[in-house]
Parts: sequence; C-alpha cells; structure tokens
Amino acid sequence: MSDDAADVQRVLAGDVDAYTALVDRYYDRCARFAVRMLGNRDDAEDALQATFLRAYRALDRYQERDRFSAWLYRILVNQCRSVAARRAHRERVFVREEALLLNAPDRTPVWSGEDEEFVQRVLTELDPLLREAFLLKYIEELSYEEMSALTGVGVSALKMRVKRACDRLRERWERIKHD
Amino acid sequence: MTDSEQLHPYVEWIIREARRPVVTDPDARDRVIEAIRVEPLPRRTAVVRRIFAPRVFRLSPVTGALLAAGLVGIGVIAGAVSFNRDGRVAVEQPSVAAKPLPVSDTIVKFVFFAPRAQQVSLVGDFNDWDIAKTPMNRSARGGLWSVTVPLSAGRHVYAFVVDGSSWSADPSAPFAPDDGFGHANSVKLVGRGSSL
Repeated sequence: MSDDAADVQRVLAGDVDAYTALVDRYYDRCARFAVRMLGNRDDAEDALQATFLRAYRALDRYQERDRFSAWLYRILVNQCRSVAARRAHRERVFVREEALLLNAPDRTPVWSGEDEEFVQRVLTELDPLLREAFLLKYIEELSYEEMSALTGVGVSALKMRVKRACDRLRERWERIKHD
Repeated sequence: MTDSEQLHPYVEWIIREARRPVVTDPDARDRVIEAIRVEPLPRRTAVVRRIFAPRVFRLSPVTGALLAAGLVGIGVIAGAVSFNRDGRVAVEQPSVAAKPLPVSDTIVKFVFFAPRAQQVSLVGDFNDWDIAKTPMNRSARGGLWSVTVPLSAGRHVYAFVVDGSSWSADPSAPFAPDDGFGHANSVKLVGRGSSL
C-alpha cells in the first residue's frame, strides 16, 4: 500500500492528522499549478483551500485503484476553472459597479524576481484552456493519458492545445525579437 | 505533435522558469488544516453508506425456512406483549424513530474564510437574504467564520456578506447562475434528514 493510500485509510479510520500528511505532501505542487494557472496568490489560495476541503469531504469515495495525486489533481483543475470563472464574473460586475472597485482583492504578483513576473505575464496571456494543457504537460509533466483522465478531454485535443500554446509562445518571441 | 518534439529555446526557458516553486502565504496551509478540523470526519458517511447500501443475501432453503419461522415467532411474541397485565390491549404509541423528520430539521453548517473581516453574515433564500438574520461566528484562532442553520430539504441558494457590503460566493460549493443583480451565489443541496 502506498503512503497516500495508507494515509487515506488512517483518515477514514478517524485520524484527522493523517490528512495533514497528505496536505503537506501535495500543497506546494498544487500551489504551483494554481498560481501559474490563476496568476495571483489570492485566487490560488481560494482554489487550494476548496480543493483540499472537497477532497477531504469526498475521501470515502476515493478508490484505491486510482492514484491519490491524480484524483486530487482532478479536483484542483476543476477548482481552478471555477475560481477563474468566478473571477471573470466578478470582474464583469466590477465594471458595472464602480463602487465595488474599491474593494477589489489584492493582485500582488507572487514573485519578486523580474524573470518570474515576466513568465507569469506570458502565461496569463495564453487562453485558459491552452494554459491549462501547457501547464499539465510541461510544468506538472503528466502524460497525455493522465491529462485526459484529469480533464475529460481527448488526447488528440490536448495535444493540439499544447501545440497551440507552444506556437503562441514562439510567436510572442518573434514579436519581441522584431520590436 | 509528439512528446519528443523539439521545443523552441524560448518555450524551454518559459518552462524552466515556470517549474520553479512558488512562494505562497506561509499561513495558507495552516488555514487549510484549520478548515479541515471543523469538518465532520469523512468516515461517517462511509459507514452510513455501507450500512444502508443495498446488499444481496443468498440463503439455502433450510436457512430460509428457519429465518421465516423465526420471523413468525417474533410476530407472535410481539402480539403477546401488546396486552397489559390486566388483559387490556395497550394503546400503540408511534415510536420517535418512526416519525418522519420535520422538513426544517436538517442542520447545515456553513464555513467561510475571511481573515480581515469584522463581521460576516450568511444570506440566502432561507432567510429572505436578510443580512441581519444569520450572523456568523468567528473561530477562536482567527479567520474562519461559521454558523449552523436548520434548512428544509431541497436546493438552496446562498452567499456570504462581509462587513455588511461585500458579497461573496462560497469557494467550496457549486456556483449558482447569475441572480440578475450582479451577485455571485452558491448552491447547497439538502437531503431530507441529513445533517451538517
């Protein structure tokens, strides 16, 4: 039995502290994906909290034949999509209601380094579906089959999204070079 | 496109930079753990589900006959004890367990994280969206706000209102369709007789 499966069994047997071990094991990796995907710390932390809460509430439905990390990532990807949709909705509301702009959440960039800020800006420019596929493939280093299981999108469509993301980045480089 | 396709050096540089770990609020992980600790244990639902899950029992003809005879015996004994000592028939009282739960008896706990809030209220279709009706309580350790309310079975739309004006959906619940007033709401589905 893997460490993850053993910890899940301990939680289901009533040991809440075992869930802390699972959170510790996956928090940083999930945080990286959420921040890269959503582009700011506040939204990423919302997605992370919702992900670990939902996973905890659904832990008795987790099947040991699945890898815990893949199961958790499926929840994370969905939560990032929800937070992004909510943010888009919120930003539309802000445009309509100027007074609410005063309460807009802090959008402080996560990184202090110039390269890191630049990379985040470049990623944020990508269409969200292309960004999601690109991050899962090259940052989280998942196989296309794993990505398909996570997202519910076919392998060929995912390959196309990753290719388009790479094309967009390369085109951006060409524009920079000629400016 | 294949996995081994040669990447443009600029794309490779982006990948290398994006793989670096991110810096997050060091307290954020603790807030996750704090939120988990106020949740009911997940095993409870597993045990309940296991108990009430439909099962198929296979009985041999002999075992079946014995079981049937036993059930008839229980019925006879139950009939016998329904008479008082003086021979009068006891008035049958409905047992508490047999009563259907009133539809508003489902207790639901709402939890919201808002470390900088001075006050948080729960509003929804169950309290006429009145900010004053359901104030939430701040946890002893800070940013977590919670309240328990009795809800009827069915679908409920709700939101949290921070400091009397800032409207927020529940990040851990499904998102409700736009309410037409520019507010983000969440959805809670309540089963009859469920709790928390």
